[in-house]
Amino acid sequence: MMVPVRCFTCGTVVGEHWEEFDERANEGEEDPKEVLDELGVERYCCRRMLVSHTDLVDVVSPYQ
Amino acid sequence: MTEEYDVEFVEREDREARFLVRGVTPAFANGIRRAMIADVPTMAIDTVRFVENSSVMFDEQLALRLGLVPLTTPPVGEFVEDDTVTLSIDVEGPATAYSGNLVSSDSLVQPADENVPIIDLKDGQRLEAEAEVVLDRGKNHAKHQGGVAVGYRHLQRVEVVGDVPEFEEPDERIVRGVIEDDGELVPTSEFDHDLTNRYPDQEVAIEDVPNAFVFHVETDGSFTVEELVTRAAETIEARATELEEAVQL
Ligand SMILES: [Zn+2]
Repeated sequence: MMVPVRCFTCGTVVGEHWEEFDERANEGEEDPKEVLDELGVERYCCRRMLVSHTDLVDVVSPYQ
Repeated sequence: MTEEYDVEFVEREDREARFLVRGVTPAFANGIRRAMIADVPTMAIDTVRFVENSSVMFDEQLALRLGLVPLTTPPVGEFVEDDTVTLSIDVEGPATAYSGNLVSSDSLVQPADENVPIIDLKDGQRLEAEAEVVLDRGKNHAKHQGGVAVGYRHLQRVEVVGDVPEFEEPDERIVRGVIEDDGELVPTSEFDHDLTNRYPDQEVAIEDVPNAFVFHVETDGSFTVEELVTRAAETIEARATELEEAVQL
């Protein structure tokens, strides 16, 4: 649904980076690895939070 | 403890630091680490009253998301464990409600990060809520955990013991953390964690320096690293005092 606020494993706040990551790596053409490095999302536990996320708000909102 | 107690910073930023502590036992180093994770109280949203929520997420899901937003924690003594602060949020779609939309009744308690998306609101949807903030510890709920990814490693001393034979291909020698070379502290990231980059064609010996630990500490933004570490030490002291009083005759 919405991006998790914190990393499940270590507790770092990752939600604030979602919009920029989505714009640059998912919508845009940039390499996810480089975007995550630039955002300062260093550990792989935090990186998977953003890499594996899908926004579902647009998908479910018609059925509200 | 025979060795002298000493603290030295290797890297130092507001929310992230690496520092060396000498002259502590492994048990004490671990005690500090655990205190940073579980025993330093931070502010976090605990109860939410929803006035209106017509978004696609349920009240309790939004309450969890609001709870996980890091809030700045006031100086020691300003708040005790039963005091509350009220945060309110009122956003109407089409818009996204961010942690920065939370309005606090106390300037000491503010969202530490303003750009955390809480919920995406479509046309006609609205989120209006009031949240109660309390002071509590990481051992009761992860949202009160001020230190994230807190850990330590032994300081490693590297010594050159000879040359690699001329025609031998040296293997890579990976170390992570901080090494001590002739009294100088060098983070291993400086040479890509591979000793053969720093000491080409030389044979080196690595050993753990006894009772010297390099801590790596990050905070979620509730306070600075310094504050986290000193408050952690204070909680250990408070518990030691409590124990001393409890066992007095
Ligand atoms: Zn993580």
